[in-house]
Amino acid sequence: MSDHTHPPLTPLQTTTVKYKPEDEVDFVVVGSGAAGGVVAKELSTAGFRVVVLEQGPWRTERDFVHDELAVFDRSLLTNDYSKSPNTFRKTEKEKAKVQPAVAYGRGVGGTSVHFSANFWRFREIDFNEASRKGTLAGTGFADWPITYQELEPYYTKVDWEVGVAGAPGPFDPPRSRPYPMPPHPPKSTGVLLERGAKKLGWTAFPAPMAIVSKQYDGRSACAQCGFCLGFGCEVRAKSSSLVTTIPKAVATKRCEVRPNSYVRKVETDTRGRVTGVKYFDATKKEIYQRAKAVVVCANGAETPRLLLNSKSNLFPNGLANSSGVVGKYLMFNGAGNAMGQFEHEVNGFKGIVATRVVWDLYELDPKLGLVGGGGFDYRFDVTPIGFGFGGLPPDAPKWGSAYKRELQKQYNRTIVAYGHTSSLPVATNSISLDPEVKDDWGLPVIRMTYQDHPQDLKLYKYFADRSKQLLEASGAVHAWALPTDSQEFSVHLLGTCRMGNDPKTSVVDKNNRAHDVKNLFVVDGSSLVTSGRGQPTMTIQALAFRAADQIVGFAKRHEI
Amino acid sequence: MSTLSRRNFVAALGAGAATVWLTAEARDLLAAGKRAAVAAQAQAPFKILTADQAADLDAAASRIVPSDGTPGAHEANVVRFIDESLAGFGKDQRDDVNKLVAELRRLAGERHKGAKSFAALTPGDQDAVIATMEKTKGSHFGLLRAVTVTGMFANPEYGGNANKNGWKLLGFDDHFSWAAPFGWYDRNV
Ligand SMILES: Cc1cc2nc3c(=O)[nH]c(=O)nc-3n(C[C@H](O)[C@H](O)[C@H](O)COP(=O)(O)OP(=O)(O)OC[C@H]3O[C@@H](n4cnc5c(N)ncnc54)[C@H](O)[C@@H]3O)c2cc1C
Ligand code: SF4
Repeated sequence: MSDHTHPPLTPLQTTTVKYKPEDEVDFVVVGSGAAGGVVAKELSTAGFRVVVLEQGPWRTERDFVHDELAVFDRSLLTNDYSKSPNTFRKTEKEKAKVQPAVAYGRGVGGTSVHFSANFWRFREIDFNEASRKGTLAGTGFADWPITYQELEPYYTKVDWEVGVAGAPGPFDPPRSRPYPMPPHPPKSTGVLLERGAKKLGWTAFPAPMAIVSKQYDGRSACAQCGFCLGFGCEVRAKSSSLVTTIPKAVATKRCEVRPNSYVRKVETDTRGRVTGVKYFDATKKEIYQRAKAVVVCANGAETPRLLLNSKSNLFPNGLANSSGVVGKYLMFNGAGNAMGQFEHEVNGFKGIVATRVVWDLYELDPKLGLVGGGGFDYRFDVTPIGFGFGGLPPDAPKWGSAYKRELQKQYNRTIVAYGHTSSLPVATNSISLDPEVKDDWGLPVIRMTYQDHPQDLKLYKYFADRSKQLLEASGAVHAWALPTDSQEFSVHLLGTCRMGNDPKTSVVDKNNRAHDVKNLFVVDGSSLVTSGRGQPTMTIQALAFRAADQIVGFAKRHEI
Repeated sequence: MSTLSRRNFVAALGAGAATVWLTAEARDLLAAGKRAAVAAQAQAPFKILTADQAADLDAAASRIVPSDGTPGAHEANVVRFIDESLAGFGKDQRDDVNKLVAELRRLAGERHKGAKSFAALTPGDQDAVIATMEKTKGSHFGLLRAVTVTGMFANPEYGGNANKNGWKLLGFDDHFSWAAPFGWYDRNV
């Protein structure tokens, strides 16, 4: 915020069409994030009348600030715990306590606005790992009802529709079309990752990023400002729904995006069909928007909450929940990280988050006895205040001249080696409704129950050790592994309305249609069956393009 | 956000107080125009702190980040940040900060009979007090460190980080754009 003014950008299209609540539109889309934007764009482009209801505001670049305190500690762009708290417990036996458990973008564009845009595709193994490697007792580890090959055309569609920079390498999953633009230049973090990887016999290559590296589709190239993770992009280089799919949806003149519209219930009739949604407008007035079908894209935490809050006589356990698995199998991705200090300046605070990745441990040697796998990048996602708190090794001085000297010396020389990993679907890890705590609108809040599976804790530890080893191989003067305790907070919210062929064990079918309700679709992070190795959003958007294709087909054939 | 690094730095404090401080109710300070005005107020009277409290907090923050040759917490005006926050988004923490000051004074009195303020101690005695706090469970050391670090490194609009002294210490700056080479290693491939 301090030293620069915002660049003059021509405003993007805002809503040009208005529907009345009593108009029965073709589709209501709940949520305008990574998935919601895709669905809105595809359905309106195909000729349907769409209303997107988004609980947060419609921001523009001018509302984005480089302000660590406001963004991280005071929920400037994200869900506000003072109005909508979360509760958390490790096991079902405990009473949940009020504490932040999830963070997601609350506004048009959703979490894609302030995410860091690492954009890895899943691979074949992520879709069929359970049958290839064996499932695990006590978990819901299962194959997807679709394969990588079925999803590949949609991954490619995402690449070109939103703008992804990268270069195919020996480990890049098979693709039908090259990346639309070259990768970003390597930062010192990337050069060092290459060095360390080489020494360990691994390969580092350009990180696929949903950030445009050159002018693309009327958007300017990344300015490498460094305020990417957690912040909104001031130049429209980050390929968020706010600047990609949403403006295109609106430009069809068939899609109305209604911000500040908080959906509290999906309504059904006596035949068990969805008839529309009830939502609160900015003044907390309740409005009923009619629709022929509803697509819920509210993310892996809010989607199950909305379905559970939508219970009725016909759906006493919550909408689309005859299986009882709505909210269950919550997955986060894990992390096994280390930090290292280098001799020369790295200046990791400049530029995009990651420029090189290492995928040699995507699948692990079976001898290790571990489940899953992961990938690495080097980054420095520790903003100044954060660095003052915890940027130095645990045994470093905490105050005084020695502390000050270390801050001064190490800020520009420190790297976080990030080992992104899979995590297992476990039925008891869940989003449910808190029985006591209500939000400012009087609705039960998200209660998270979560404990990492013991196998996952072993995996995170393994990756933390490898992260440290990588840093040492890169020439770190000092490196230390970060602790890998069971997680209690996440920004990757996955698996809570899982996809499957069996209505008894899954919530949606392979086309993201609710098994129980013909005109209800759930399209977002909640339909993932496995977590992938760390970056879920590329897959969330590919699934959204695929689901939208299917929904358009159903609608045209009157099969909704 | 990187959950791990985020979680880690909060954990690194070892004190719940700081977490509360950082997630405190937010709105006020962002309200119209306030931020720009704050920076100009280096000399203005404090809004919440008494002059004596401010002197003690200034002295204590200066032990966390001393002014030893280069600017420290004093030059970064950390105490102004504390006052501004207590007037705005940190208003729920007024009580905690009062307790922090009371603790500093009590320990000052124990260290040096008759001492009524922390600020009046010699730097050596001040350091001894801080060292005691660091070792004592349930002390306000975590809060002192949290407000100092936040006041050093938050955007100058919040009243601290004066002249960007905090950022200069780190070698950080907020530019609209950067270009390669970013650091030594990509310059010397
Ligand atoms: C700081 C950060 C960094 C990240 N970095 C990466 C990364 O590098 N790579 C990666 O792959 N992923 C990353 N992620 C995760 C990524 O952003 C999410 O996986 C992705 O955005 C999820 O997409 P979605 O469509 O499921 O939900 P979202 O994008 O969260 O969209 C859901 C939308 O629905 C709205 N909504 C919710 N409930 C309601 C309701 N009741 N009524 C109306 N509207 C509602 C929300 O406000 C939101 O706008 C990051 C996340 C964060 C927070
Ligand atoms: S680093 Fe690039 S993409 Fe990220 S916010 Fe800055 S300009 Fe935008």
